[in-house]
Amino acid sequence: LALEEATRMTDPSARITAVKSAQKFFSEDKDRSFEAKMMDESSRLLVLQQQLEAEADGKVPFFGQSVNETIRTCVVNGMLKRADKIKSDFKVPDKRFWYTKLYALTEIRDFEGLDTF
Amino acid sequence: MSAEDQNDEPPLDVNLLKEISKKALVDALNSVNGSKTLVLDPLLAAPLGLVTEVALLKHHGVDKMFWLEPGPLTSSTTNILYLCRPMVSYVKIIAGHIKKHAKESSKHNYTLVLVPRLSSLVSRLLEEEGVLGDITISSYNLQFLPVANDVLSLEYESAFKDIWVDGDESVVYDSAQALITLQKLFGLFPRLLGKGDCAARLINHLTTYLPQSHTPDTLSEPFSNFDSLIVIDRRVDMITPLLTQLTYEGLMDELLGIKNSHVELPASLVAPPPNPQTGATAAPPPPPPAAASLRKENKKKYHLSSADSLFMELRDVNFSNVGKRLNGVARRLEEDYKTSLQSKTTAQLREFVGRLGGLQSDHQSLRIHTGISELMLPITRTEQFNKSLEIQQNLLASYNVSEQISSIEDMIAKGADMETIVRLLCLASITAGGIKTKALDNIKREFLQAYGYNFLPLLLALAAPSLAILLPNPLPTSTPPAISASKLPFSPLRKSLRLLIDDNPEALEELENDISFVYSGYAPLSVRLVQCVAQKGGVLSNPAEKEKSLESSNKAPDGGKVQAHPIVGWKGFEDILAMIPGKTVDVVQNGVGVTPSGGIARPKDKATTTVVFFLGGCTYTEIAALRWVARQNRGRSFLIATTGIINGSSIVDGIAGIQKASAGTKDAGI
Repeated sequence: LALEEATRMTDPSARITAVKSAQKFFSEDKDRSFEAKMMDESSRLLVLQQQLEAEADGKVPFFGQSVNETIRTCVVNGMLKRADKIKSDFKVPDKRFWYTKLYALTEIRDFEGLDTF
Repeated sequence: MSAEDQNDEPPLDVNLLKEISKKALVDALNSVNGSKTLVLDPLLAAPLGLVTEVALLKHHGVDKMFWLEPGPLTSSTTNILYLCRPMVSYVKIIAGHIKKHAKESSKHNYTLVLVPRLSSLVSRLLEEEGVLGDITISSYNLQFLPVANDVLSLEYESAFKDIWVDGDESVVYDSAQALITLQKLFGLFPRLLGKGDCAARLINHLTTYLPQSHTPDTLSEPFSNFDSLIVIDRRVDMITPLLTQLTYEGLMDELLGIKNSHVELPASLVAPPPNPQTGATAAPPPPPPAAASLRKENKKKYHLSSADSLFMELRDVNFSNVGKRLNGVARRLEEDYKTSLQSKTTAQLREFVGRLGGLQSDHQSLRIHTGISELMLPITRTEQFNKSLEIQQNLLASYNVSEQISSIEDMIAKGADMETIVRLLCLASITAGGIKTKALDNIKREFLQAYGYNFLPLLLALAAPSLAILLPNPLPTSTPPAISASKLPFSPLRKSLRLLIDDNPEALEELENDISFVYSGYAPLSVRLVQCVAQKGGVLSNPAEKEKSLESSNKAPDGGKVQAHPIVGWKGFEDILAMIPGKTVDVVQNGVGVTPSGGIARPKDKATTTVVFFLGGCTYTEIAALRWVARQNRGRSFLIATTGIINGSSIVDGIAGIQKASAGTKDAGI
């Protein structure tokens, strides 16, 4: 169980492996299926964030953010399609997704985007 | 009201403790001859600031001061003095310094002063690093620090986490040592009462260590200043810190953060040059050693001291009344100024000028406190704040729990503070005896997605057996029995201890007369427990009515206050206590020379002090509530001692292992 402390690492690839091994430990214990699932999502998110960073030519930092923050960053940087994809990938409930998107759009003062709601 | 009432029974001179700490520090400094470089643990700086000043350090030969941080250390003096808590990371840093200096072949004498005591682990580590021979180790026994006239604190910020998350019980031991010191100064505790497993361990320490450390002349004194010690384990009452505190001081802690009785305020509020005359009360305190240069933010620290009479008056008042009070004080000051204009004779004028200093300092503190409440008012009006209050109140009343859970979900969606969410979740779990498994999994998922997967350890820690404040309901079959045993039966307790007072009009009057005023309707469980011991009437019925009936029947005509009854232990409340998980302790402690005849007879009119020790920290509201209880009792005052002053957010942050500053930026981004 102590292994998840390793997730505090900064190096991207090392962190993904650490999270994956944490997931393995969790999945060995049948009472911890929830934690295992979460760790699985976490590693998926980290991989996705790496992709996103590559897509944005490394200008926008994504790595290590939470799901909400990732959606926000996507919206702020005009990657609306990506944001929608994250929503479906991680089964983000509508309510939370719209709030996050709403805040993000207000932040960049994209009132046309707000209108199209 | 508080100031005058508290003064009619002079509290023990807690400043004695401060003097002792100061003297010990000076001794520690003087143990190294000549000028020296002081390397200070950043965690210790603020507590030390309560004890001493930079000038004193300089006076004792401190040449330069550094924070204990990784990285190179350059020192011009040959003597280097480290002052730190015994922590592994610190020892590593120190060893690094020494090795580096050895490489550069610069010659230094190293002294390591550990607070509050030596640890064999540290010397082992130093030995492993191969530098034990180069260093002298001693200890500086920093114990209780008086935070106010009636509040002592050990200022261990991480005590809660240490005990219940990491299982590190050195805090329990240190607390026992500090309490023994207290006994040496003021006399023996004739009776020890405790609730909770760790409290039991603490009392066990106290009773077993006493014979070794006895100093017969004081301990055998039959007339002790104390009548009992009540130890409350934080684990026993987790509800109270999770709620939002609503007294002035408590709210200030929630919203602005009070650290070592200093609050950080925007500089503009404190900055106007403090009048030299009024320096004693209103001037910002000297910043902790060398802090000024390191602190970049545009904030000033303001010392909240008991010397500020206006603050004394306000600190324990429910925030909804603070505005009214401030207004009243402002009026009074204006009147005072007016009288000066009307005064004609020189004698009158002279009298006024004499009072001017006092008036000005009043004025200054009035300005500051008005500023503080203006700062907090907008926050209390936000939707988020009110929503979380509403959820708290509903949960306490066990009103429609599942709906509250979905409101918490809403708050996550809206991006509320991580701490707020965790507090609400735990509260829901405690009061309802667990959250339904499906809902809990769902909300945990929401939580992790919104705030980051790196908070999974936090959730695990909260569900771990030692803490068990975030649980599914019904429990999975595989859970160890320890967890189910540690569940708090909240609803029967709420009834028997009158924890919640209804918010209907006729009850409002009652509200004014009960400790529940601090949470606008909820009486802190921990304080109710203290009342069980010290003010039995107050628990069962409205104390105000009790007073009336007592007054008529008794020969106690003194101001409607109940004469404090002698401490007779938990008597009358055994069944209630049995419901609360954790051991219950009741030990009669006899001094060395006293005949073991049970309780010690004392003159009835002699005022005594009951020490209430919160193991794992206490909140400002609990202090306020205890002060209120003390005012209801004649002949007994409370001395509140704690490992540190906490609030719900600081607990959560502690467990999550994040620093306050970084938490702020993290949450702001969402």
